[in-house]
Amino acid sequence: MQRTIPLAICFIMGIFMMVQFFVPHPISINSYDIVLRWIRIITIFALVLGVGSLAMYHTTKIRRRVTGWTFSIVTIIALVVTAIIGLIGGVGRGSWLQVIFQNIFVPVNSTMFSILAFYMASAAYRAFRARTKEATILLIAAFIVMLGMVPIGSAISKRLPELAEWILTVPNTAAKRGIIFGIALGGIATSLKIILGIERGWLGGGKQ
Amino acid sequence: MKFFQALGKIDRKIIFIVLAIVIIIPLLKPFGLISRASSRAEAIFNAVDAIPPGKPLMISIDFDPGSMPELYPMLTAILRHAMAKDVKVILLGLWLTGMGLGEQSLTTVSYEYNKVYGQDYVFLGWKSGVLPVVLGMGEDIKKAYPADYYGTPLESLPMMANIKNYRDIPFFISLSAGTPGYESWIAYAQSRYGLKIGAGVTAVSAADAYPYLQTGQLTGMLGGMKGASEYEFLVTQKGYTRQFSPASQAMDSQSLAHLLILILIVIGNTGYFFTRKVTRKETK
Repeated sequence: MQRTIPLAICFIMGIFMMVQFFVPHPISINSYDIVLRWIRIITIFALVLGVGSLAMYHTTKIRRRVTGWTFSIVTIIALVVTAIIGLIGGVGRGSWLQVIFQNIFVPVNSTMFSILAFYMASAAYRAFRARTKEATILLIAAFIVMLGMVPIGSAISKRLPELAEWILTVPNTAAKRGIIFGIALGGIATSLKIILGIERGWLGGGKQ
Repeated sequence: MKFFQALGKIDRKIIFIVLAIVIIIPLLKPFGLISRASSRAEAIFNAVDAIPPGKPLMISIDFDPGSMPELYPMLTAILRHAMAKDVKVILLGLWLTGMGLGEQSLTTVSYEYNKVYGQDYVFLGWKSGVLPVVLGMGEDIKKAYPADYYGTPLESLPMMANIKNYRDIPFFISLSAGTPGYESWIAYAQSRYGLKIGAGVTAVSAADAYPYLQTGQLTGMLGGMKGASEYEFLVTQKGYTRQFSPASQAMDSQSLAHLLILILIVIGNTGYFFTRKVTRKETK
């Protein structure tokens, strides 16, 4: 029973939403509206679950003194303080939340990603070797695109941006399209398996 | 031989220092490389330009401060373009951590053009969940967002009186640094409701957007900081603004950084080839 009811709900709703997409009748549109409202409510619960899960994970780490538990204290303090400030002071212009965002979150987040540029430069120097034919082709393509996509490329040669554009528009698009088709077909197959009750991993709880 | 071995073993600290110098110097003393607009940037510019005054442009902030150098200048340049043309702006986002950036850009640009909140622009903010937000607005924006970012009911904002759903939005731009982003808007808002979409993306994800450009699902695309500088170039060239253009200013640094990385790859490969030949001979 614990499995049959969720499977039945999944099957009915899956088939209903598929059919609904093609039926522009008012009853169909109204029921779609109701379903959207349900999703909105369920998503809010997911947010509550997320915050609860984060808090539980880090409090457990602090209690057990797991390696790096001091960082968990920072996380919990940040979570509580930000939530309180946001709830009391609001989120608008000049609010404390905005001050925290502009003066702590923005610099910290930006710094983290800025450092990536340095690591990427170092990694490209160390790892990007023309060891095989394929690697050499990749290297040449990277050279053209990296130069062609910045203004210095057109300063070197007017043909470089055109060549970079061709690489992105033709071989890149062909490969990407193949990947997108694969993902889409995989998505459809998995959705059908879930709707028809073949794939039951989402029910959780292991084997019964 | 030692020379070639050394070529393959440059200390990473040296690379870091040289890269920092190459980035900082052009920022302090620019040498003025200009980004001409690509056809993709022009397509977005023309789509915004074609919105009649009084009609809305919707922009989604699907990024956080990590992608700020690339996507924030796009947001500011597009807002300047729209506000200069008296196009109404609806700002929202699928990334909670991008809301502060939206607030900051709106405050700056609305002040430059003397625009009034609720009449000329609205900030819807962020709502949990992608599907209910994107699909919900296709039916009724006021149901998906009963109140704006500041808690004001949308019913009470004059600008929103004649805007019900995507049918009232002539053009939409997603400034996207990942998932959820422009692909979510294409999948749900474009496919289902026919919303006309343009995208601003980070340079690393620009290649992913090309198939959507070719199919026409994306009207245009701004790729990375270069894309932002192209839009800034167009907005400045057409006389919509004379303000500072951060992305254009950073183009010199980006060009030199790309060049340095390529030089490093050449050095690394030179060292690799010569030492490989010797190693092969020794093993024979």
